[in-house]
Amino acid sequence: MSVSQDSILDVIAEESLVERSALTPDATLESLGIQSLDIISIVFALEDKFGIVLEQSEFEGVTTVKQLVDIIEVKANAVAEAGAAGAEPAAKA
Amino acid sequence: MSVRVAVTGLGCVSALGQGVQANWSKLKDGVTGIRRLSEPHPDQPRLIKDGPAAAIDGVDTTAVEAFAGRKVTAQLDPVAAYAVVATHEALTAAGLIGDAATLASTFIVYGGASGGNATMEEGYTRILLKGQSSVHPLTIPKTMSSAAVSQLSMIFGIKGVAFAISSACSSSAHAISEAAYMIRAGRTKVAIAGGCDASLNYGSWYSWLALQAMATDTCRPFSIDRKGMVLGEGAASLVLEDYDHARARGATIYAEIIGAGGSSDAGHLTAPSVEGASAAVRAAYAESGIPTDTPVLVSAHGTGTPLNDKTETEVMRGILTGGLDRHRVIATKSAHGHLLGAGGAIEFLLGVLALREGVAPPILGYIGPDPECDLPLALGKTEAFEADALVSNSFAFGGLNSVLIAKRG
Repeated sequence: MSVSQDSILDVIAEESLVERSALTPDATLESLGIQSLDIISIVFALEDKFGIVLEQSEFEGVTTVKQLVDIIEVKANAVAEAGAAGAEPAAKA
Repeated sequence: MSVRVAVTGLGCVSALGQGVQANWSKLKDGVTGIRRLSEPHPDQPRLIKDGPAAAIDGVDTTAVEAFAGRKVTAQLDPVAAYAVVATHEALTAAGLIGDAATLASTFIVYGGASGGNATMEEGYTRILLKGQSSVHPLTIPKTMSSAAVSQLSMIFGIKGVAFAISSACSSSAHAISEAAYMIRAGRTKVAIAGGCDASLNYGSWYSWLALQAMATDTCRPFSIDRKGMVLGEGAASLVLEDYDHARARGATIYAEIIGAGGSSDAGHLTAPSVEGASAAVRAAYAESGIPTDTPVLVSAHGTGTPLNDKTETEVMRGILTGGLDRHRVIATKSAHGHLLGAGGAIEFLLGVLALREGVAPPILGYIGPDPECDLPLALGKTEAFEADALVSNSFAFGGLNSVLIAKRG
């Protein structure tokens, strides 16, 4: 089952305490009040939720909601497909 | 001392409910918040919280979120969430919620026996039980002993001196007494004082079990066949204020703190000391200036452990004069459980309400007299009792004692 952008946005909203409706693709994390430690918390929750691992270098240049969602979507779907094929997910946990 | 200290705001949450009114009405009605838990750990079923406890089933943060304008409580450890809802209620009662000018110089002195235990346990569960390699990035700021204090400052815009006080089960009584001294010293006009604790996680449960201090049935302060304490959780917050400042702005004055006394046993890590506890009570009386034959309502430490209640009886019998019947002893842990670092504050708060209303709510779980606990106990149903002052005792593990005395405002 593929991971939807909506499910990623749900996690970001829950962890960042930003209203879900404010998480528009072009919104910058800075404009939403999401600071560096918040981003680390969001990534932590996304890793947990989707069984993925993100190195800091992979998200340190992220400035918009869309950039973050895109990175997670690719990673999470790779894990989901590997899981569907019977392989072990590359989960950090 | 020339500066008088008024109590102008009250707020609390415990297993009895959220809010002063919920707690007070249940206490007066003789309703207990203690119930039997039987909760296996979701990841390790051999670990079970099995026994009586006074647990909170969640708090309503709607009013706090509405005030803050955003979801400020969603990520809080329970210990901070309890402190936040209790303080929101206290500030609202004091008419100071959102009063940026006053809160800019308001102090916070808040007690806690520990920090964010649930967050700490979640972290250990991940790395030690589940074999995961990371914990939540906010584990440190959520588990530090001052976590709740920081949240109170941030959420309510309180910008004066703020810190946590830790002295086990006397923490919040010490916090109230030190905040009162700060007001008397002229360092601030207003202070938030109180305490919070949330120790119904598995690690704390098993630690208290190991200490063999927990009752297997319920909390029965000063009763024959009492078996021990019952763990509770929650928070209590009080707004303390320079009396003249409170009067000038027309605030409701719930009580006036007229004495505080502290002492250390320099004795045993867990066993209470008659001498040490008595020194704290006597110091509070001396500061208050009231004679020991003044009819008082004693909000006892009253844990329900065999040794504490026997010791507290000896202490109070050695101090109260004029005939014991002119005094009355309540022990509210029998209703809300042992709130540890928040215990002193909620017991003082409930004692203030009893003093104001001229009643003595009953000690619950009492099944018969113990000759070693011969005190004028409030038993049966809530009775009318007109006391001239409240004496609120906190005698913590490690021999750290704090006693507060208040009169009506």
